[in-house]
Amino acid sequence: MFETSSESPAPVRVVSEAIKDYVDRLGPIWIEGEISELNERSGGMAFMRLRDTSVDMSLSVMCYKNVLAAVQPLPANARVVIYAKPSWFTKNGSLTMSAKEIRQVGVGELLARLEALKTLLAAEGLFSADRKVALPKLPRKVGLICGRNTDAEKDVVENAKRRWPAVEFEIREVAVQGAAAVVEVSAALRELEAIEDVDVIIITRGGGSFEDLLPFSDESLVRLAASCVTPIVSAIGHEKDSPLLDLVADYRASTPTDAAKRVVPDIEQEISDINKIRDRMYRRLLASVEYELNQIAQLRNRPVMKDPSVMIKVRKDEMSALRDRSHRGFKALLDIEKREIKGVIAHLRSLSPQSTMDRGYSVVQNGGGKIVRDATKLKAGDVLRIRAAKGEASASVLASE
Amino acid sequence: MVAKDAKPSYEQARDELAEIVESLEDGSATLEESLKLWERGEELAKICQEWLDGAKKKLDAAKKPAQ
Repeated sequence: MFETSSESPAPVRVVSEAIKDYVDRLGPIWIEGEISELNERSGGMAFMRLRDTSVDMSLSVMCYKNVLAAVQPLPANARVVIYAKPSWFTKNGSLTMSAKEIRQVGVGELLARLEALKTLLAAEGLFSADRKVALPKLPRKVGLICGRNTDAEKDVVENAKRRWPAVEFEIREVAVQGAAAVVEVSAALRELEAIEDVDVIIITRGGGSFEDLLPFSDESLVRLAASCVTPIVSAIGHEKDSPLLDLVADYRASTPTDAAKRVVPDIEQEISDINKIRDRMYRRLLASVEYELNQIAQLRNRPVMKDPSVMIKVRKDEMSALRDRSHRGFKALLDIEKREIKGVIAHLRSLSPQSTMDRGYSVVQNGGGKIVRDATKLKAGDVLRIRAAKGEASASVLASE
Repeated sequence: MVAKDAKPSYEQARDELAEIVESLEDGSATLEESLKLWERGEELAKICQEWLDGAKKKLDAAKKPAQ
């Protein structure tokens, strides 16, 4: 280029002309973005600002009104593809894209691209069920990303407070549609993710046109949401709308009210559940204590425990029964003996010579006490003993014959 | 059988009491043994009763504030 120094600086016109020379050599290119501002000035030119759909960057664009007329009327934040060549304006040193052609990106095409992105993210596993994190039962703080003063915000806050009055919110009101939405929602999400006691984050907005909900299918936002550790609940638009954020969210709520229901428990329900459980526990325990009390009462009421004297009585009875038996036994024995003695006596009596002697016979015994049966064997002088029926006498033999 | 000096759990005490009542009822023990068993049974019955009365009192106390 040219040599310059503090002694020989280049004048503005030379520098600006040099830049223009360089820029003019650049060829036209195709660029995609959203039209965020549009000014149609007199003199046949239109000026607009073309914003990136994901990040906060924009280009200034100008064109002849007839170029713009080809796509009019354009909706707000229309997504377009332009064929433009950069131009340098030496007058104020600004760079503007001169559009030769403007084409609106059709809904069909956007849908096709969304579908392609969905397939790509699904293939990466970003939507898989095992990536989903369970929502906390009772979060310390609920992060809420929503539009300013929207019904969605009110619905979430009011319903959550009704269910759990002590719920604490960390609310970020941001643009939820248009060019700034992706940037602001992403920034809010990063901020809430960084707050330690935010245990769940709700991203919500009401229903809207397909274009309005497009930011919630933005690849960078979807990837950011997927990378968050904090569980995310999405409640975007209506049931039929399914922005890609819904697919990476840990829970997809059908409405803001549904989101509120999912992030905090119902205090009435919890109290009633706890009371029910407590009551069941009490009744169950009481029943076992009463059952056991009854068991113990029964054991204590058994005769052996209630009246331990039976234990002695049984043995006393045993003892007296034994004594009785021994008495009876002894008496029987005695009877037998008595009867036997009587017989013996009778027998003895029947054998006794007394009755014979009563009839007048006497018994003669010799000196040795032997009964004399043969008188021839007696000799004179032998001493005899005579036993009569009554009394005895001694005698001596006079002669033997 | 639970050592006499160690405080038995409720279930141990109840089961032992039931065993004692059974052996007292079948009458196979000697009188001396029976007397000892009965004394032990009384002791166990008292432990069980106290334990249960205490539990019931606690339950009743816990029930009141909830009502």
